Amino acid sequence: MIRTLKASFVECSGRDRAQKLLDDGTYIELLGPFDGLESPHLEPQGIVPQSDDGVIIARGTLNRQRVVVISIEGNFQGGGIGEVSGAKIAGALERALKDCEAGIKTIPLLMFDTGGVRLQEANYGLLSIAEIGAAIVALRRHVPVIAVIPGKIGAFGGMSITAGLCSAIIMTREGRLGLNGPEVIEQEAGIREFDSKDRQLIWGTIGGNQRTAAGFADLLIEDDIEAVKEAVTSIINSEVIPKIRTEQVERYQAFLNLINPLQRMSPEKVRELWKDSETTIENKVEFVSESEKSAGRGQVWFDLLRNDAAEIGDIPSVRVADSMIGDTKVRYIAVVPDAQNRFPRARKGEVGLQEGWSIAKHIREAIEADQYGEKRAIVAIVDVPSQAYGYHEELLGIHQACAAAVDAYATARLAGHPVISFIPGNAISGAFLSHGMQANRLIALRDAGVNVHVMSKQSAARITQRSLEELEAATKKVPAMAYDIESFEKLGALFSLVDGVEASAPGRKDYDIIYKEIGQAIEDVRMDGLTDLSGRLTSAIAQSGGRSASILVREKLNEQWN
Amino acid sequence: MFHLENIIYTFPATKRIGKRAHVGVVGSGDLEIMMEPCDSSQTEVTIRTGITGFKDTWEAVIYRFFNQHDIAAKVKINDFGATPGVVSIRLSQALEVSCND
Repeated sequence: MIRTLKASFVECSGRDRAQKLLDDGTYIELLGPFDGLESPHLEPQGIVPQSDDGVIIARGTLNRQRVVVISIEGNFQGGGIGEVSGAKIAGALERALKDCEAGIKTIPLLMFDTGGVRLQEANYGLLSIAEIGAAIVALRRHVPVIAVIPGKIGAFGGMSITAGLCSAIIMTREGRLGLNGPEVIEQEAGIREFDSKDRQLIWGTIGGNQRTAAGFADLLIEDDIEAVKEAVTSIINSEVIPKIRTEQVERYQAFLNLINPLQRMSPEKVRELWKDSETTIENKVEFVSESEKSAGRGQVWFDLLRNDAAEIGDIPSVRVADSMIGDTKVRYIAVVPDAQNRFPRARKGEVGLQEGWSIAKHIREAIEADQYGEKRAIVAIVDVPSQAYGYHEELLGIHQACAAAVDAYATARLAGHPVISFIPGNAISGAFLSHGMQANRLIALRDAGVNVHVMSKQSAARITQRSLEELEAATKKVPAMAYDIESFEKLGALFSLVDGVEASAPGRKDYDIIYKEIGQAIEDVRMDGLTDLSGRLTSAIAQSGGRSASILVREKLNEQWN
Repeated sequence: MFHLENIIYTFPATKRIGKRAHVGVVGSGDLEIMMEPCDSSQTEVTIRTGITGFKDTWEAVIYRFFNQHDIAAKVKINDFGATPGVVSIRLSQALEVSCND
């Protein structure tokens, strides 16, 4: 058949995209516009909510295969993930997982059109994205989880990490995939680093064409409904079997080692080096130097907790050591500042390209070593100011590096390793998602220097087009928008918030408290035996209001699912 | 600061619409309309908008539409700065969807 006219997929609304993908007459929308589940957090901030909170969940079939389509409406609040929209996505994936576990193969298809966390609901979005990631990693063991990034907005922020976790990524030329949006990089790193008005630069760095050529997406398709269906079907039918990116740690590390970050690289060069990395699998090992240690909380606590255990990390910014808590083997991992970091944008303790892949490497190593024996605990020591913001970071796929770390932590958790996050410092945004958020238990210190949030106030004000004063005022109304750890506690995700510990210069007494606390968290994980993140929704604080909408959405979704 | 305007109108009405309809997006210059059949013989229109101070304009647009279309329905509007023309078009679209098969 000759087709002359194309039917654009990009131009469709989120709901149209879902409807057009599914076989005729099989579309069943769950939690639709008349079910009354809108965001409870927007109206108090003077923002008009949307009846479906910008996410469309539809069950149906595609070529008679049972699928669930999760489609994000980019025109509502930039496709931002809030509490309700996030719970719709996570809940649908969790239901699909249940089906798969019961032998009913249900394939999730995610239509991305999102800037990431909805800044007006900040930490709710962060928690949701961690839950979405957890479900994807678990689902991938049963079915392919397929991402489509058609374009208009693309997939940014935490949701680019989500895309990086999927089995396959399908993009059009118009689609974009990157961790930090152009405006945010410009705000954080300056216009010389990235000019957010330069469209050629933007698409050259993170557009569909470049992403497919440089190893960050699988299929580049025309903007055409039939092309989307064909591409999705080819993956469902295993005509195309993409390698799982997050598991190819060696390849991506080799790729990064081919790069000289001090020279501004062209997108074309990156494509070449990606090809080269296929044959040059060799890891350059850097030494962990004792002399250039930072005095930050991450480093201090790492040294305190590991005691005299030898360091086994491969780069100075990711410290790794195996030690013991009681009879339990523990692997500590901390991301710390390294003033000589090869990548200048990751010198202040940010989670950057090398850091993401290095975390992944050291966790996967432990999973493999413990495959048949006692699963050691993995303890993330979290003091991370942010992810790294820069041109090279985006060009070389920092979202994928973050996804690799997320995947490794989630995989360890699913394999039965107790994964604990200990937060003595900042736990921010993509850095926290990558290093800490996938833990079974979160332990934080009650201290003014412990903050959890999704974006610096300056950037958040710029993106939401508010003044700093307006932003501060909104923060007072919505605890999820606040930066302090006590507000974060109100969301019910913490295992414990520890009082009376000296956070920046801990002594023996502080060590004893935290050593015991981590030990208890490990014990708690072993007791309940759950390997998912459901504990964050069943905690007393979550149940008594901290996560009301997240819980309600899942309940309603369960009612409507079958 | 942080203020939404809620506007409600009710009119007597007679004709029942066939089914519920959902059109539009709460995105720049657009709005979302949910139209549902209503058993009582009246129409109730609830509007939420962040663009405050245009009550007169809303009144003119809504009155005109429901003068022309005598339908008993529950209508919810979530507005994100739609112009009067866009509001009318979306209302017509919602009505069309709710009357077709």
